[in-house]
Amino acid sequence: MSPVAVACRGVEKTFGTGAAATQALRGIDLDVAYGELLMLVGPSGSGKTTLVSVIAALLPQDRGDCLVLGQDLRAMGKKDRALFRGRSMGFVFQAFNLLPALDATENVSLPLIIAGQRRRDAQKVAADLLDLVGLGGRAHARPRELSGGQQQRVAIARALVHKPKLILCDEPTSNLDHDSGQAIMDLLIHTARAPDRAVVVVTHDPRIFGFADRLARIEDGRIVRTDSPRPAPAPGGQA
Amino acid sequence: MIRVALTMLRGDSSKFIGLVVGIAFASFLVAFASAFFAGFMTRGFSLISENPEADVWVMDPAVQSVEQTVNLPSSALSRVRSVAGVVWAAPMALGKADARFANGSIQSFDVIGVDDITLAGAPAASATVTEGLRLPQAAIVDAGGTEGKLQTPVSTADQWPQDGPHLDAPTRELRAGDELLLNNHRVRIVGHSHTLPRFPPRPLLYMSLANADRILPPGRHRITFVLVSAAKGVDPQNLAQRIHDQTGLRARSTEDFKTDTVRWYLVNSEDVGDMGAMMSLAASVGFGVTAVMLFMFTTDHLRQYAVIKAMGATTRQIVLMVFAQASAVAVLGTGIGMGVCVVVGTIAARGGYPFRLMWFAPAAGGLMVAIISVLAALISVRPAVRLEPGVVFSSR
Ligand SMILES: Nc1ncnc2c1ncn2[C@@H]1O[C@H](COP(=O)(O)OP(=O)(O)OP(=O)(O)O)[C@@H](O)[C@H]1O
Ligand SMILES: [Mg+2]
Repeated sequence: MSPVAVACRGVEKTFGTGAAATQALRGIDLDVAYGELLMLVGPSGSGKTTLVSVIAALLPQDRGDCLVLGQDLRAMGKKDRALFRGRSMGFVFQAFNLLPALDATENVSLPLIIAGQRRRDAQKVAADLLDLVGLGGRAHARPRELSGGQQQRVAIARALVHKPKLILCDEPTSNLDHDSGQAIMDLLIHTARAPDRAVVVVTHDPRIFGFADRLARIEDGRIVRTDSPRPAPAPGGQA
Repeated sequence: MIRVALTMLRGDSSKFIGLVVGIAFASFLVAFASAFFAGFMTRGFSLISENPEADVWVMDPAVQSVEQTVNLPSSALSRVRSVAGVVWAAPMALGKADARFANGSIQSFDVIGVDDITLAGAPAASATVTEGLRLPQAAIVDAGGTEGKLQTPVSTADQWPQDGPHLDAPTRELRAGDELLLNNHRVRIVGHSHTLPRFPPRPLLYMSLANADRILPPGRHRITFVLVSAAKGVDPQNLAQRIHDQTGLRARSTEDFKTDTVRWYLVNSEDVGDMGAMMSLAASVGFGVTAVMLFMFTTDHLRQYAVIKAMGATTRQIVLMVFAQASAVAVLGTGIGMGVCVVVGTIAARGGYPFRLMWFAPAAGGLMVAIISVLAALISVRPAVRLEPGVVFSSR
């Protein structure tokens, strides 16, 4: 196993061409270690979502390299990339993105079904995960019957169900009120963070910065600072 | 994956119902039109069907259907009778004549002249009625699938008026004893028959060949068909071939002649063409709407497909999902469409409409649905396959 889960070097990405071109990423260097929860923070339009999309191989970068779990995803074929993503990554989205027709258990079991597991087995694992996120009693509720916070819990269970090595969350709390947001982050810390797993959380909500092991600040397509959220009680002083 | 796709389908119940109803409607139309067509065609060869004792029909070499009346030389009958395997052969004459009713109204009739001696070809009626055909001027009248066309005035004052037709006089159904005027020849009705309805519908007059000969406009020949019964164990098709070889006339087994007649209608009948065009228009609208709806269903669910793709679904799996949805809708819609077709058809058939559900009616409906579903799925699958799963990150 490579020492870091994600290693990006000089990643650049431009949308559009000519006068309309937007350079969203201007040379990103970023490492995410196993076992840590890295928060990617920065103002709106700074390139956070673009960077996560590149890491997830949902978007090809123009320049630079991104090794994810030791693999260069650009070198893979389309199908292998999809299979790798399905096996190794979990996603949590701002808009939850649950399938409205499926109940909570079915939604959670989806990554396993996509990977070809039998329905019954997949649902059993999914039910356990729902218990873990505190929704054991709502296993057969459909998304519209759940609150935003509950939907995001289902989404977290779905991101974890196939034991991925990398979890990518884009603004997981920004559709939630403060308390629900805190609860979701609490849940992420306690269920998602694991020694053999890396978690990347994109946010611009300073109230949840405290949940991060490390904060990477991105501005205008560049990582401007990487630090720990709580300044260490610094006897020697730190710049 | 298929299950997920079907759950998605059911989850969007308004679109789902719309799709199923669309398919059901279109497949119903196709099946119903096919069954109606089969019914019309069956009525088109009613004359053949109502003479089951004839195994082979002999006709002029130019005749393609029971609708065409080119007459044979009278020698044809004896020539046919001399062919080995023929048990009996009876002449039949077909002609059209305008009849004048007692109140002066005019109605076109098909005149069917049957063998003077055996009365083979006469319609099923009571023995006295049938025997009545032997009288001079006698005829059996038959509605032939028409309604209200056999009306004669009630009052004798309105019968054969000297002061021009009394078309508005109250009328009643024609019955035994009434008289008609055909080509200035008096015809006396000896009874009614209820043979198979015709396509196109028209009233019929059965009479003996001798009577028909007097009434129909003078022609050189008076035999249109020779009806042949085959000896036991003789294959009608073989016999027909033999008759053709020996007489030079066209001879067809009953089944072949029915087929010929249907083919002739298909090629020659404007009615059948118009009906087909109308039905195919309606069906294509139904199918078109359905295809568009399936396309909309997929595009409305693109975000969900994007999520599924982000979670590692391959193109194959996405295609499988879209096709599973299309097939489910197709099977369900066709089932409902066919069910409604059978129910409505049974009611229609009871009401006297030509409706005959043969194997090709559901087959035609099913085939159309299959073609259209595959097409709709093919165009629907494109946006889902080409979709960039990155859109999942956008907030909505
Ligand atoms: N598909 C796209 N086409 C064109 N420009 C894009 C596209 N996606 C992003 N951009 C541009 O790239 C820049 C970075 O966008 P990105 O979505 O990564 O920002 P963000 O940090 O996630 O912002 P937010 O906090 O608002 O989500 C923005 O200027 C945005 O307009
Ligand atoms: Mg963003």
